[in-house]
Formats: sequence, structure tokens, C-alpha cells
Amino acid sequence: MVSRGNLTGMLRRAAFLAAVLAGIGVAALPARAQPAPIKIGEWLDITGGGATAAESARLGIDVAIQEINASGGIAGRKIVTVTADTQTDPTVGVGEAKRLVLQEKVDLIIGPVISQVLLAALPVMNDARIAQIGATGSELVTPQAAPYYFSLLINAESQAKAVLNQAEQVLRAKSGALLSDSGAQSKSFVEAMKKEMAGRNIRLTGAQEYQYRATDMTAQILTLKRGNPDTLFLFASSGEDAGNALKSRDELGWNPKVTGNYTIATFADALIKVAGKEALHDTTGLNYTAFTYCDPKQLPKPFTDFVAKARAFDAAASARLSMLFAATFYDGVHLLKEAIEASGGKTDGPTVAAWIVANGRNHTGILGSLTPSDTSHFLVGAEALSAVYPERILAGGLQQRYGCQ
Amino acid sequence: MDDLLVIMVRGIGAGSVFAMLGMSFNVVFNASGILNFAQGNMLVLGGLFAFLLLPAQPDALHWFMFLPLVVGLLGLLLAVQGFITLLPLRSSVEQHSWLITTLAVSVIIGAVLLIYQGTAQQTVRSPFPAIHLLGTRVPAAYAICAGLAVLWYGALRLFHTRVLIGLAISALSQDLDAARAAGLRVRRLQVTAFAISGLIVGSAGYAAAPVMAIANDSGISYVMNGFVAAVVGGLGSNLGALLGGALVGMLSFYAAYQYGGEFQNAVSLALLVVVLMLRPQGLFGRQAARRV
Repeated sequence: MVSRGNLTGMLRRAAFLAAVLAGIGVAALPARAQPAPIKIGEWLDITGGGATAAESARLGIDVAIQEINASGGIAGRKIVTVTADTQTDPTVGVGEAKRLVLQEKVDLIIGPVISQVLLAALPVMNDARIAQIGATGSELVTPQAAPYYFSLLINAESQAKAVLNQAEQVLRAKSGALLSDSGAQSKSFVEAMKKEMAGRNIRLTGAQEYQYRATDMTAQILTLKRGNPDTLFLFASSGEDAGNALKSRDELGWNPKVTGNYTIATFADALIKVAGKEALHDTTGLNYTAFTYCDPKQLPKPFTDFVAKARAFDAAASARLSMLFAATFYDGVHLLKEAIEASGGKTDGPTVAAWIVANGRNHTGILGSLTPSDTSHFLVGAEALSAVYPERILAGGLQQRYGCQ
Repeated sequence: MDDLLVIMVRGIGAGSVFAMLGMSFNVVFNASGILNFAQGNMLVLGGLFAFLLLPAQPDALHWFMFLPLVVGLLGLLLAVQGFITLLPLRSSVEQHSWLITTLAVSVIIGAVLLIYQGTAQQTVRSPFPAIHLLGTRVPAAYAICAGLAVLWYGALRLFHTRVLIGLAISALSQDLDAARAAGLRVRRLQVTAFAISGLIVGSAGYAAAPVMAIANDSGISYVMNGFVAAVVGGLGSNLGALLGGALVGMLSFYAAYQYGGEFQNAVSLALLVVVLMLRPQGLFGRQAARRV
């Protein structure tokens, strides 16, 4: 039998307990409503030889993340970033990759832009099964070697094909010499060029390489000149290096036609700063068709829209950096968002990679249609490239396609 | 044959910068036993000052006007660096914290450059016309650097044999303790040596700016080659550094021309190994007595 006084006491205690539980529940509500953020590791070559490209990449990533967070995040989860500098050094890169994966426990990784850094850290990335998008061009980065990694860059083989298409069909080249830097991507390019040239009617007369940041390449160019080629194939990883190569060629009074990779086009500003516009005579480069125009009155809208966003985000950096490279990474972040949202919010490498392989072709971004497959994780193929006049640049970096007036 | 001549001329030009770095190493080393590894980035700073001060299309008047300013600035900067480096050392010969200090200064300069200009490489136009050689153009900066290297060699020789402070600094290189016992103000002389090395590096960076990579990460390559020039020539010998620099420059250009660009940097390190194996004191160095 419970007395009236005891009953009142029990009721008071029950009411107090209910109030406390309700309080806890209310306090817990915002935590349930705010899901854990998605942690993205910006694993980039912020210093060292790859720094110019990485800085541009970072701008594109940050613009995309700001835009995605403002519209509610990825599958309702906000994005937070952790930055890691590889210093363009594979050893440092591996250490930073381990920090991101083991210590920071990131969900996704974006970067790097240098192949040898990626290659060194692949065991770390593969063990962690982390989805990753970067911009490396080495042929060694196959789906078997890097199952969860995708590259926004045109691979060396595609660039070689596009360069040789331009040389063979437009420049009517009969012989050519190769000049490239000492990076892993360049070595892949040289191998791909040698293989492709063997099957075409263009004779290889010589090959030379230079170190990053070399300012005088006359020794290399004199060697190539001995072979008397009608075309020089130039593969550079920075605009400054390409500028110094063309400057050295001019100082030697040698005037073969020059055609080269995407760097000559996308980093043409830096190239011109070093060598001057006059050094670009008889020179063509490659660019993503999405970043080119024929008629100056009809510019590609997705790209011009991105440039406007980047300028609003950081006007000073936008004026200084390659908008083209920034735009590719902006597209990369949006591709990851699309993949995660379509996979029910899952961020693990196998799920995201499987979605990109199956559906990447349907992605509509700045770059246009992508071409990932089971056999290649390079998102852009040779068909997405056009030869351009590097010196004919509009604001933002759009370049005129070769043959257009 | 024409190609080889062009390569040799350019190699000597590029090597002159290494020679000046080598002499700069020697000045500080002779006075204090310290190898200043910040000199590569100090050289880059000299180039950066040229970029900041000279107009986009400079003329000779501007060039000569700003030369003493840049040289003086680098002299002052190196004197401050020397003072800070020497401050905690009771004896620079017996303690080795300078190794960390000089590397730290180099890292700091690289970081400041990165913050200031990002990863971009600055370009400086030369006010002087290129020299025509066998149908090619050789940048005037190479000739100026070669002239400057010889000039600095002559000036240092006179300084160390005819000027009282120079003689005192030479005394430091022979016996630091004896010099101190004789009443020489060792610390002040050592800071002076740092300042002189700044004058050399400042003039080298300013003159070589049109042919240099003025970037946050390019100092390491210059300091490596300057160090090789100094050691190959014989650490402490300015004649050795002068010839060692030219040798390193020519060999690296020749290796790139004959065997491929991948050997351009490796050959100077190979030269260092060979010289150290066959003649550890360098081509013109003196054998030092060793305390056993």
C-alpha cells in the first residue's frame, strides 16, 4: 500500500526524471540533425616542382567545396578539409598520406598532381580503400595498381596520340625530336610517343630531358638539333619550364615547328612571362576542348561561369593561377559528390569507384563527357583534346583552337 | 665543334655563379669554419631584389644604379645572419649548431618567398644585349657573371694580402686560438666575413637574375653546385673555387649535351666523389694538419 505522501514523492521524482530525460533528448536532437561532416584530404604538391599546378588545383577544390557546403553539403553532410603538402617529394608524400589516412581519418582524398608522389603512396591508399581524384598522367597508374583512384588529367598515351595527330595531319611532320622534363609522367609520355611514332610515318631523331626549374636547356636542344628534325615535341610540367625551353631554342637560332602537351597551353601565361610571346612562333599546344573557343563571341558557358565563381571566391588568386587547372579540380569534387549521393551516401573507395566507372560518362560538368572504364581510370581521353594557339588567350585562359581565325 | 664551343662558353657562364658561391663559402669558412648553406637562397634573394627594383624593360643606368643597393642589402643581411649564427657558439670550430642554423635560414627564406610570391618563378630582363657567338645568342648575364667572378677573385686576393682586416681574417683561418690570444676581435672579424660573403652573393644573384630561376625552391640546386665548386677547388682556396665553378658548369653542360639531360646534375656530384677520393683536399686546397 503506497501512502499519499509517498505517491506524491514518487510522482515528483518521476516528473523530475522525465524532465531530465526530455532535456537530454532535446540536447541530443541537434547532434542527430547534424550528421558528421565528410572529411576531405587535400593531398597536394603545395611546394616544390608541382606547386604551380597544385595551387591552381586547390583554388578549384575550395570553390567547389564552398559551393557544395552552401547548398547543404554532400548527402546532407558538410565538407571539412585537411591540407597535406607532399612538397613534390615521394617520401614526404607517403608520410603525409599516412597522416591523412591514419591520423586524420579522412573519407576522401583529392590530389596529387605529380605521378611519382602518387605511385609511392599507392599501398597506403589501397589499404585504406579511399576514393581519390588527382591529376597525374603516368601510365603506371592503372586500375589494378590504383583501384580507387581517378585522374582528371589526360594520360600520357592520350596526349601522345593528340600531339602526333596534330603533327601528322596539320603540321605534316616527317621527323621529330622529343624534349621533356625528368618527371614520371614525362617518361610515360616519351615511351608513348616512341611507341606511337613507330606506327606512324614520323621518324624519331632524338630524345632529351631536363630537370625541373632548369633555365638553360641549350645543351639538350643542341643535341636534338643534330638530328635535324622538322618538329620538336615538347612535354613540360610547368609553364616556366616550357618558356625556358622555347627561349633556349630561340637563343640557338633554331626554328623547327613546336607542338607540345597541355602545359604549353594551360600555363601559357607563365610561359609568355619567361620567353615572351615572340618565342611562341610556330608553336601549338594541347588543351581540353572545353577550355577552347573558335569564335570569340561564342565562349563555353560552363567554364566562364566557373571563372566568375572563382573570381568571387578569391580575385587575387584567380588572376594569378591557371583557371583551366582549377576548373578540372572543381569538376572532380562535383563528380565525387555525384558519386556519393547516388551511392546512398557511401564514401568508401570500392563503392565510389564502381559508380564512377559505371556512370562517369553521364556526368555533365565543365569538362563535358568523361571516359572512365574498367581498363582506364583516366577521366579524359584523347578525343576531348584540341590543338590550340597558346598565345591567343582570352580572360580566364580560354584559348583559340588551331585553324580558327 | 661549334656546338662544343657554345656549350663551353655557356658552361663557364653558368659555372661563374657557382664559382662566386664557392668563394662566398670560402670567405666564411676561412674565418669561422662555418659552411653557410643559406647562400643558395641568399643568391635567389639577390635575383628577387633585381626583379623588385628593376623596371620590366631595364636600361643600363637603372642596372648600375641598383647594383650597389642590392649588394649592400645582401651584405647587411648576411652580417645579421652571421651574428645570429655565431651568437650561441663559444667556438665555431668545435661546435656544429651552425649546420642547423644555416639550413634553418635557408628554409625560412624559401618559406618567405613562398608566402610572398607563391610558387611562381620571377623573370628579370637583361638591359644588355645578348652576345652573338657562332650564329647563336649567349645571354649577356653569363659574360657579366664570368667578369664578376674574376673581379671578386682579384678583390679577395688583394683584401687578404694587402688590407689589415683581410690579413686578420686570414690569420683566423690559420689558428683561431692564436688569433684570439694575439688580441684580434674574432667575433667581429667573423661577422665581417659573413658580410663580405653577402656582397659576393648579392652581386652574383643580381647579375645572374636574367638566367636564374628566382623561385622559392631553386636555392638548393645553386647551393649544391656552389658547394661542389668550393670542395672540388679545395675548401678555402678562392682560385680553386673560381676554376672549380667553371669546371662544374662546363661538365654539367657537356654531360647534358653528350649523354643526356638526366646526367646534368649527377655529373657534378660524381665529380665531387672522384675528387674527394683522389685528392681529398681538392684541386688547390692545402692539406690540413689533424690533431690525433
